[in-house]
Formats: sequence, structure tokens, C-alpha cells
Amino acid sequence: MPQLHDVDYTLEYPYTRTTGPVIGPFLTGLRDGRILGQRCGDRVLCPPMEFDPDTFASLEPDLVEVGPGGVVENWTWVAEPSAKHPFDRPFGFAFIKLDGADTALVHAVDTGGDPEAMSTGMRVRAQYRDERHGSVADVYFVPEGDAAEQVIQPGDEPVTITEHLIGLRINEPLYPHRARFAQGLLDGKIIGQRSPVTGKVYVPGRGYDNMSRVLMSEADEVEVSDVGTVVAFTELNPVQYYGQTETEPYVRCSILFDGTDQPVIGIDIRDMTVDEMRVGMRMRCIWRDPEERSVEDIDNRYGNIPETVYARFEPTGEPDIPADELKEHSW
Amino acid sequence: MVSLAEDVAIVAFEQTPSHAHFNDSEPAMIMPCVNSVIEQVGMDRHDIDFTIAGSCDYLSGMPFAFVMNIDAVGAWPPVYESHVEMDGAWALFEGFVRLQSGDIDTVLVSGSGKCSPGSYREGFSLQTDPYVHAPIGLDPRTQAGFQAQALIAAGKATERDFAEVVARSHANAKDNPYAQLSGDLSVEELLAEPYLQQPLRRLDCPPTSDGAAAMIIARADKARELCDNPVWIRAIDHRIDSHHPTLRDLTDSPSVRIAADRVGLHDGPVDIAELTVTYSPEEIILRDALGLNGETTVNPSGGPLTGSPFMAVCLTRVIELARAIRNGDGGRGVAHASSGPALQQNLLCVLEGDS
Repeated sequence: MPQLHDVDYTLEYPYTRTTGPVIGPFLTGLRDGRILGQRCGDRVLCPPMEFDPDTFASLEPDLVEVGPGGVVENWTWVAEPSAKHPFDRPFGFAFIKLDGADTALVHAVDTGGDPEAMSTGMRVRAQYRDERHGSVADVYFVPEGDAAEQVIQPGDEPVTITEHLIGLRINEPLYPHRARFAQGLLDGKIIGQRSPVTGKVYVPGRGYDNMSRVLMSEADEVEVSDVGTVVAFTELNPVQYYGQTETEPYVRCSILFDGTDQPVIGIDIRDMTVDEMRVGMRMRCIWRDPEERSVEDIDNRYGNIPETVYARFEPTGEPDIPADELKEHSW
Repeated sequence: MVSLAEDVAIVAFEQTPSHAHFNDSEPAMIMPCVNSVIEQVGMDRHDIDFTIAGSCDYLSGMPFAFVMNIDAVGAWPPVYESHVEMDGAWALFEGFVRLQSGDIDTVLVSGSGKCSPGSYREGFSLQTDPYVHAPIGLDPRTQAGFQAQALIAAGKATERDFAEVVARSHANAKDNPYAQLSGDLSVEELLAEPYLQQPLRRLDCPPTSDGAAAMIIARADKARELCDNPVWIRAIDHRIDSHHPTLRDLTDSPSVRIAADRVGLHDGPVDIAELTVTYSPEEIILRDALGLNGETTVNPSGGPLTGSPFMAVCLTRVIELARAIRNGDGGRGVAHASSGPALQQNLLCVLEGDS
């Protein structure tokens, strides 16, 4: 039988940023196997900056190659790397003052997992990744004696845009009320929460009544009817944004189930056209067979009654409810 | 003395315990705090003039999670509200500034965060420079490691000093019912632990925590009407150092020194300091930059090393200080909030009891 599961997803944002007149050449250089600093008076800044960090005066782009060797000025050992670090085994992060530069770059030093190899004053040398994307992560450092000679093939166009796909993994159990709601769907039941203050029934419950500011528990839960009334609908024409999986137009509606005070939104209808939908139309949930139901798409915030638990919604044939009587629930 | 257009006082405050994991939603965590502060002053929520919250969508793991958090203050009637993508201490700052306009009387401030479902190390690496730091996942614990190493290299502190901060914090937290960690730890025991982020060990770093906090602040006349023992906010100041850790002296905090001067910290006695010591070496830097001596009790609550729900933890410092002043443990003190890695941003808030 289908079962409940923990919430586990990765929230991703694909950031693209223009690089500007100083960072652009710096990232182009890393892609092409060299490190550039920015002249600032009689100093050289690396990482390069568009302004003098002491006076904040703008600097004309004036880049000069530094490194590839340098000296560690400060360091710390990462015993447990995060998923976003340059290495998945323990490594050092260090302040690296590259030869020819007057300020230090923060970057990763790979010693093969040995913290004893790290020290302030040690010499390190740049190494480049086989696959480079015009990112500061194209480079890393190793103790100078461990450095390999590399032949780097330069790219064609200068780097003017840098891409950074960030991903935040979220992993936690379903909250108790979400778990009971999801289990209800697997059992072919719609579970709501009745406010102990107003008596209004919310589906799905949020674990609280946000009108009365009162928490709700299992004692406030009720099974509601799987027959209800369409209170709103629309046709979705899928825009092909990052992560979109839909390709064809379809109908999405909100249904106010009998005995409840809040419509369930986001119910998708695949076997009716938008012309066949009416506000006030009575609909019944036709559940999937129990072993075919899944609540994988239900997490702690999203997911009401997903298509993975119902086969379709079917008009009951009862007379429509006058739209005027549904004004309070039109969402 | 700092000159204010309006005197402002804290009239009610509440916090959740620091949970290792709170298995329900962020609004469900905030709501009891909101209800408590409203009950403490006998107000109707509808009579609160302004509402402001601090939280972080990257921690919550959902775009516009902060909008959902408004559920905690009641969805109807609509609130006049604002939000900062920072700790609730900065929400307090905005609320305090808002009251200086003199046209409203009360502000409900909250802060909330759940660190347990995600990785704060990964999430907070995104507040670093997006070109040269974030793509290599430069996280706050790493930057704290740099700060610790810099202190040692400069001869300003030793690993033993860090362990002493941890031992004192955990001992202080024994009397704090909201603390997540507490107990008697010996410095030798602590120094025998393996490194997590050399030269830092696990307890030099904060626990993973979920929690929320709320308070009501009010203009002077309203504050006296609402409670018998207002705690006065005498000054707040927020200062920032460079976000490039290699361009500043990590063993000092110029921003704290400026803020301390601006709030007139030493214009009166500093009986208590509640400091956002997220990593143990920070206490050494803060004591020095604040010019604290033996007359100041530092982090009697145990501080963030014993419970660190980000986005609520700094507002909680203000609350712990207000509670200590109400309890008569001191007449005047400073709460410190920090944002960004390695004490990059610092806010000071001077509180004084009703005299």
C-alpha cells in the first residue's frame, strides 16, 4: 500500500548576473587559466574590485596577471564539507595572497584530506578544473609541491554573464496535521479542521485558524464530503519557465466541498474543456484505486488534493448552486 | 545622551524554547508568542498600529514564506505591516524608527526561523559576495574559523579561551528554560573534542535550532498605560564592515566600536550584555570592542551557543536583557545583534529599567 514519506525537495533559483568591466575579465581569465588582479594606486587587488576599498572611489579597469603561486595568510579546515563546497572530502579554506597581489583571495586548498598539510605561510598554486564555466569555482589551490602542469585551452568569447544555480535542500517529516490529511487521501477521505472558535471548517487545515489565531489539533479534525461545488475555474496555458513540466492547456478549478467553509484550490481537470466548466456546478471525486494512490506531491506547504489520488472529478448532474450564494468562497 | 523624538519602551515579550526540531509550520511557532504578548498588555490585536517581522525565505525553503507568517498575527482584518529579510532585531529597529514619527503608538515585532529542515551553512553562504564567494559555498562557519585563527595568530586568544566561553555559556544556560543546550562542561573536556572547523570544535559553533520571538513596543504615554514596568529602549545603532573578510581586521570589530559610541554605551553603567555570540571567539572580540570590564555580566542567558534559532536569536537577546532588567538583575544593559558572517554587521540596543 502507498505510504507517507518525509518532505525532501530542493528549492532552486537559477541566478544569472552580468559581470561588469572588472569581474568579467577576472572570470574570463579563470576560464582561460590565469588569475587577474586590479590595479589600485600602487597596489594590486585580487579578487579585483571596481572601487578602492579604502576610499570607495571608482577604479578604471586596469587588470594585471597575478599568481599562479601564492602564500596562505589565514586558513581553517573544513572537516565536514557542505554540498556547496568545492570538494566533497575535507579540505582547507584559506586567505591566499597571490604573487604580485597585495590583498588576499578566499579559496579552497586541496591537500588530499590532510589538515596537517595546512599552515600559515605555506606556498600554494592554482589548479584549474577540466570543465570551466567562467566562475570563481573554475580554479582551486594545492600545496605548491603537489601542483601539476596544466595546458589550458582558452575559450572564445569574454565572460559577460555568470550563472549560479543555487539549490537549498529541505528535508523534514510531514507536520502531524499534514500527515493525517495525506493519510486521509490515501484512505479515500478528505480531512478538514474545524475551528474551535468560529466552527468554520478548513480543508486542508493548516494546523491553526488564522482568523482567530488559535492552534488546531487532531481533536479539531473532521472528515468532509467528497462532493462539492465549483466556485472558480480557469484554463492554464503553461508558460515554459524553469522547472515547468506541463506542455498542454488544462483546466484548474476550486471546489467547495459540502460542509466546509474554504474551497480546495488547484484541482486539475483533464477530461473537460474550459467551455464545459460552470461556477456552481456540482462535482464528485472519483478516487483512484487504493493501491494506485500517491501523496508524494504533498509537502508541508503545497499540495491539496493532487491528481495522484483521484481518477477524475465527475459532474453529479444535480442542479447548479446559484453563483450568488458562492460569493464568499470565490477563490 | 542620544536624543530621540519619542521615548519608546518594550511593554511585552515572549519567546519559544530553542527547539532542535519544531515539527510544525513557522506560523504555528510564532502564533503562541504573538498571542502571549497581546494578552500580557490586554490589547486587541486590531488596536496594534504596526506589525513587522524578521525571517528568511531561504531558511524557510519557500518563496514568500514571510507572507504565510502573517497568519500568525491573524489574517483579518488586514495588518499594516512590514518585513525585513533579517533577524527580528532589525524588525525591532524598524519598529523603533517608525515610532519616532510620533503618529502611531504601538508596534508588534516578531522574528522566526527554522534551521532544522535545511542547511543554514548552505543558505547563509548566499549572503556573501555572489561573484567570488557564494559559488564556492563560503559559509559562516568557515568565516568563523578564519576569525578564530586570526585571533590565535595575533596572540589575542587561545583555543582555551574559546572553550572557556563555551563552558560559561552552557553553565549560564542551566537557569534558562528556553535553552536548547546547558550543563557543566570542563574546559579540558571541551579541548579534548575533535575539531569541526579547525580551530573550532562542535560546541564552539551554534546548535541547529528552530524558534520564534515576539514583543510589543510603544511610545511613552501608551507604554505606561499598557504596563507597570516598561523597559526603555534608549538607543539603537547598526553598523557594517566590509563583506570581504580579507579586507578587514578579523580580530577587531570597528562597526561595534562605532555603534557603541553612537548609542552612548558608556554614558551609564553597563550591568548586563546579551551578545549574539554565534561562535565562541566572537565573545572575545565583542567584549573588547564594547569596552566591557568585570562589572558587566555577559550572556547570563547562555546566549546563542546554547540555542540559536536564526532570525529570532538576536531579537531574543533583546528579550533576555529586558527580562533581566525587569527581574531587577540590573538597571541598564546592552543587547547586541549580528548579521552576516564573522560579525560583519552589528546592531546595539541600550535598554534601561523604569526609574
